[in-house]
Amino acid sequence: MVRFIVRRLLVMIGLLIVISMFTFAMFVLVLPNGNPAALLAGRLATPAEVHLIDVRYGFNQPIYIQYVDTMKNIFTGQAYSYQSGFNVLSEIRAGMPATLSLAIGAGIIWLATSILFGTIAAVKAGKYADRVLTVLSMIGVSMPPFFFGAVLIYYVAYKLNIIPIGGYVPLTQSVGGWFGHLIAPWITLSILFIGFYSRVLRSSILDSINEDYVRTARAKGLSERQVLIRHSLRNSLIPIFSLWGLDFAQVIGGGAILTETVFNLHGVGELARDSIGRLDTITLMAIVILTGIAVVVIGALVDVLVAFLDPRIRLQA
Amino acid sequence: MKRYVRPWAGALLAASAALAIAACGSSSSSSASSSSSSAAASSSASSSSAPAASGGTVTMLMGTAPQSLDPGLDYTTQGSEVNWLVYTGLTTYAHANGTAGTQLIPGLCTALPVISDGGKTYTCTLRKGLVFSNGKPVVASDFTYTVERAVKIPWGGSGSFITPVIAGAAQYAAGKAKTISGITTNDATGKITIHLTAPYGPFDNVLAFPSLGLIPAGFPMKVEPTSPPPGDGPYMVTNIVPNQSFSVVRNPRWAAQNIPGIPDGHVNINVKISPNIQANALAVLNNSADIFDWADTIPGSLLSQIQSQAANRFRMVNLGGSTYYIFLNVTEKPFSSQLAREAVVTGLNQDAMSRLGSGTLQPACFFLPPDVPGHPNAPCPYGTPGLGNLAKAKQLVKESGMEGQPVTVWSETRSPRQQWMTYYTQFLNSIGFHATQKVIADATYFTTIGESKALHPQTGFADWNQDFPNPVDFYGVLLDGHAILPQNNENFGQVNDPYINAQVAKLGQVPTTELSKVASQWAALDEYVARKAYVAVFGYQKFPEFTSDRINYGALVFQPIYGWDLSSFELK
Amino acid sequence: MSVISGSGSSGGVAELGEGFDAGFEAEGQLPPGVGPWRLAWRRLRRNRVAMGFGLLFLLIVILCLLAPVYSHDIAHIGPDVNNITGTVRVGGKVEDVVSLTGIPIGPTWTSHYFFGADDNGRDVAVRLLYGGRTSLEIGAVATLITMIIGTLLGLISGYFRGFADGLLSRANDVVWAFPAVLLGITIGTVLNIHGIGPLHGTNALVPAIVIGFVYIPYVFRPVRGQVLTLRERDFVDAARQQGLSDWRIMMSEILPNLSSTIVVFVPLILANAILLEAGLTYLGAGVQPPNASWGTMISDGINNDIPSAFHNVLIPGIMLVLAVMSINIFGDGLRDALDPRSKIRVAR
Repeated sequence: MVRFIVRRLLVMIGLLIVISMFTFAMFVLVLPNGNPAALLAGRLATPAEVHLIDVRYGFNQPIYIQYVDTMKNIFTGQAYSYQSGFNVLSEIRAGMPATLSLAIGAGIIWLATSILFGTIAAVKAGKYADRVLTVLSMIGVSMPPFFFGAVLIYYVAYKLNIIPIGGYVPLTQSVGGWFGHLIAPWITLSILFIGFYSRVLRSSILDSINEDYVRTARAKGLSERQVLIRHSLRNSLIPIFSLWGLDFAQVIGGGAILTETVFNLHGVGELARDSIGRLDTITLMAIVILTGIAVVVIGALVDVLVAFLDPRIRLQA
Repeated sequence: MKRYVRPWAGALLAASAALAIAACGSSSSSSASSSSSSAAASSSASSSSAPAASGGTVTMLMGTAPQSLDPGLDYTTQGSEVNWLVYTGLTTYAHANGTAGTQLIPGLCTALPVISDGGKTYTCTLRKGLVFSNGKPVVASDFTYTVERAVKIPWGGSGSFITPVIAGAAQYAAGKAKTISGITTNDATGKITIHLTAPYGPFDNVLAFPSLGLIPAGFPMKVEPTSPPPGDGPYMVTNIVPNQSFSVVRNPRWAAQNIPGIPDGHVNINVKISPNIQANALAVLNNSADIFDWADTIPGSLLSQIQSQAANRFRMVNLGGSTYYIFLNVTEKPFSSQLAREAVVTGLNQDAMSRLGSGTLQPACFFLPPDVPGHPNAPCPYGTPGLGNLAKAKQLVKESGMEGQPVTVWSETRSPRQQWMTYYTQFLNSIGFHATQKVIADATYFTTIGESKALHPQTGFADWNQDFPNPVDFYGVLLDGHAILPQNNENFGQVNDPYINAQVAKLGQVPTTELSKVASQWAALDEYVARKAYVAVFGYQKFPEFTSDRINYGALVFQPIYGWDLSSFELK
Repeated sequence: MSVISGSGSSGGVAELGEGFDAGFEAEGQLPPGVGPWRLAWRRLRRNRVAMGFGLLFLLIVILCLLAPVYSHDIAHIGPDVNNITGTVRVGGKVEDVVSLTGIPIGPTWTSHYFFGADDNGRDVAVRLLYGGRTSLEIGAVATLITMIIGTLLGLISGYFRGFADGLLSRANDVVWAFPAVLLGITIGTVLNIHGIGPLHGTNALVPAIVIGFVYIPYVFRPVRGQVLTLRERDFVDAARQQGLSDWRIMMSEILPNLSSTIVVFVPLILANAILLEAGLTYLGAGVQPPNASWGTMISDGINNDIPSAFHNVLIPGIMLVLAVMSINIFGDGLRDALDPRSKIRVAR
């Protein structure tokens, strides 16, 4: 068990390193006008000033030294954005409350709703309710979140004035404000996942119906409902939780970039988007690494949990 | 052999994360004051002693964040709008509307500098009893340090206004000298003497830049965006949350210094960075926020609503110092041909450009905007700017022999600039060129088109907002042949006309205070440029003065250089 | 995120062993068997919903291909014509295409500006069709890239195992661990400025390559998994003993057995590619202006036209959703038809 975890972690750390190298290479090597010195020097700088900046920030050093320095800076919290001068970690920290609020709220909503919809669809398989839910799921997975967000903003915020147009209010400042600003982003982010997860759950439950243990349970005389909840559902939820953990991790790391941008939540996702626009390599790298770490940690946690709960997986590993 | 999946797993995760939010939430709001720079103590101390009294607090919504609140780096209107009241320089501008606001007044010096030695030496004496917002006394050598730091960081304007202008600055910038030799100071008497490399007319204006506003010597020579240096001015900046918000609060030490012409502020201002301009306009309309940043554009959809519902607190003003134009590279086909350039100026539909700009553009043909002395009174050489004469333009293109030439049009991303260039590209195609548009991220746009050697851009969007009301600010940077650089170029058209170069050299030496004497010569130069069609000007931008009804609108000062005079804001 | 759905049966009870039944109809005589593809087609045909949406998608594709016809003969205006100061006749009144304050006209439901105008006075209906071509093209090219490279790499990795497998799998994991959107933006931003080889940055194929690359892991893993199983089967052994080369075996023995998996993936990847293109474009790393696609239209609409001209958001958005939904529903039906009990393993 321990070996399983350790091996996973080592592999993932290796992956993180490669990912960070890849990002660094993309922005530093491939970008021709990406010479940060010219960007930093400002609109009216002389070549001498540009050269001074090269020396000061180490842009004239070989790539691998620059990479190592950058990584060192990021992990010790000494990384500074070239463009704004802000400490990258403090920028990310400033964006975390919004991203976490979005991720957790949406995560709970989509998990609960998916389980509900998936179960209903499985129980009523083939009937009207199932078809309606299938269509809804299909729309959910076919809808770009920023489009749905824009529709919500237009109809519910501008026209009906029920929710604010965008922005984020910290929980510590006003609970009502926090909730009001997040309800639309939560729904927007959830739609995509609900559509997908409910169908996975549905098929998972339906497949389990043919398994032996369900037939045994029925033979024992349990009602359909009991069979469903006590047996099918519990096992079908395993892949759901596994997926949930991974998607949740990605959202935290800035994967909800589209939703955050449309609603101006000033979270980590929007920060990622802004850094790309500014060609702010350091901030972007830090965010990518953060996402990677989140995916690794939460993914490993979830895997461990699932392995702990289902010995079949443990034994396979 | 089943295992029951316990749903509590998910709940546990959620609960721990919820704790994390609460922790993050409280720590991020105090992160600014817990940073370890030496200025932190002063900012947290002053924020606790800031008077809650006379003014109250208002909210301002900025669509674009200032580049930095550290004056050593910032070169944006959003930053200057705040920093000119935080970092007073040796000179500053009058706090008045209109032309009166373009007048220079003494700042931290007792009087405007004495100019001697044929315009090459500037001397002034610091007032007595000056202190920074953290209590440290202001001394003359702080000025030298301030200038050196601006060069070191570097400040975006140092390459134009410091390094080539102040003697010894170039050596300092190149790392060959430990200090700027051209500045000598005497802390005991407070006397400051500055030697220039050559007479430079607008030098008094340069001294008024917020980035040359004095800061204490010894403050770290690197950008401190969350805890910028203390300054000596009516306001201070505190509570900076990166990319999100900051507060501009009254400096309690200001009033006692009694500097004439620079009044104390009335209210504290909480500034929120909010990219959604429509939401901002609506918020100010509904009085849930107080100030709409003048540098943002009121969306056309809300214009009529605002005009009817908020007529007593809304106005479009022509700041008078900004020109929107299209640069034309005269060193390459097709715009090396005068006729091709005339075709653009003749055919461009300025009505269309104005509509794309939500109707806030004033049609134009002259490079110098209305409030800069030297703006010509003559009629436009190629017809009144308006609908554009497509037929004539097509004919001119044929005559120039440049028909069918491929042209790349460079463009920013944000609207309406992208839309302007989309229209321009289509226009070029309709008069006989083969144009394609290239859109560049805003943050890197000017640096990209400034790569005159590597990319030699042919045409595209450009704008200039005056640094100060002296035509040399426009010409010396944007149209002077000597200003062409292989990188970070601003003379995008690479115009190298000996007549222009000579006039700029001559007229640029005239101090701003004596501009009226040479205004007609500047006007003649501007008319010459319009006739040569070196640039295609398409408008002067009007800006919104829009507040909530909590603000005493009548008492507001809209400074022609900096936009809002924040110290004029007061609650009714 | 992965939208590879693991659905088993959708609406309807699965009909097992159809061929089985048919095979034992007449006693003592084996009737002509029906191949699995024919069977699948029959099952698909019976799924009216899937067929309906499949036809809808076909209709959308045809409409988009007919864009020049619409532009030339019906709307009488090209997709790039900036008609900012023009006017249009609506119900007897003459209206500005773009008002003096920059607000474009909404749908006129006439042949001119049927769906209204955008900020630059361009005809939205015309741009919708031309943009659709771009979006569909990008989706198709991306899908092609993903399927070809993903399958090939999966084949090599699963068949040869060992070092090649290790390398490819690790590389795959790297691309996999990067969130799709972030990966797309990183590569997209850089390549849009730099271009790839002969392709300029603004070429619409650049986003197609980026998107295609991003989705390779989604195909690589299942293919590799299947190949790992297939290579142990008897017919592969037989082929080896016959002395066929590795490549022959891969191409003529293993690949055909992958075909149903591959066929099922195509609509899945296509739908996701179109969605990702829209997302990347909204973030500035996809299709570059002035090229038009549904993504650029929605994104311009969101950035500029809320709340004044919301049709610029709604119309391209609905079109996109319809197209993607049709592909998804048809793809679902296809999956059911090919193997009613199949479960595409969720590729994580």
